[in-house]
Amino acid sequence: MRVFALALVLVVAATMVIGIAGLPPHGDPDGPVHTHVGARYLEQGVAETGLRNLVTAVLLVYRGFDTFLEVVVIFTALVAVLALPSATRQPPQSRDESAAASRRDTDDAVPVSPVVFLVVRLLAPFIAVFALASLYRGHVTPGGGFQSAAIIGAMMIALGLVFGREHAARLVPHGAKAWLQALGPLVFAVVALVGWRLTGAFLGFPADEAAHALREALVVILEVAIAVGGAVILAQLFMALDAPS
Amino acid sequence: MSVVFDAVMLLLLIATAITVARARDLVAAVVKFGLYSLVLCLVWQHRGAPDVAITEAAVGAGVTSVLFLLTIAKTARSERR
Repeated sequence: MRVFALALVLVVAATMVIGIAGLPPHGDPDGPVHTHVGARYLEQGVAETGLRNLVTAVLLVYRGFDTFLEVVVIFTALVAVLALPSATRQPPQSRDESAAASRRDTDDAVPVSPVVFLVVRLLAPFIAVFALASLYRGHVTPGGGFQSAAIIGAMMIALGLVFGREHAARLVPHGAKAWLQALGPLVFAVVALVGWRLTGAFLGFPADEAAHALREALVVILEVAIAVGGAVILAQLFMALDAPS
Repeated sequence: MSVVFDAVMLLLLIATAITVARARDLVAAVVKFGLYSLVLCLVWQHRGAPDVAITEAAVGAGVTSVLFLLTIAKTARSERR
């Protein structure tokens, strides 16, 4: 068995090394990556999309379908976690039971160190501002919806770890929870249909110079939806796993 | 200098990856995996991909570590031999 495993590792490693040896040098301007559509993106991307951050331009305008499905994948991951029996179990109904449950939680819980408590409390507003800045400037500088979602989600999880899951749950409004979780795919679908109406192509963006403001508005709406929806999904993943079992 | 930095970081990546795979205690493996993500984040930044670096730091080193730890708390802490 060990010999077989070793042989398998060697074969796979040799295949990988041979494959890597066949790649063009890193950053080679004549490499296939840079001579196909990439060259067009680099030369005309800014003029065509009006977005100065080419990564965002490729992500949302040129490769909108990929990003749409990426958002759906994240949503599907949350649905899969929520479909686990332990994640959707209802909290105890009667007062005695819930009191017993909360006592059990506090018994289990390790008290948060004052250092961690203070650091998270102090840093949380700065993390939130950084996330908003990376969202707001996402079409100009590095960053954008996904980065912002990751940062806000991480901040909500840090707050949840320090303040407990009851406080963390309040960060996501209960009534709007279902809508916020699906915000990314929903808004993407709406923007895609708007693009269809305007340009005749699903997920199309109006290309003429006069529609610059509209195009930018569509991109910002998408970015905000990706950020809010992604952050809520990350927080919900945390809360589903953190629920008492 | 740039090549030296890359080489050191990539060697660190391989080393941390091996320690993650060798860890018997899954909590230790999660902490080491966070370290791996942090090194990878520096590599992304150094290769000129700040977008990916931000996501790697927040998701790789932050969120997934917490999710892994919660999963370990619900299952078992050490791998079956």
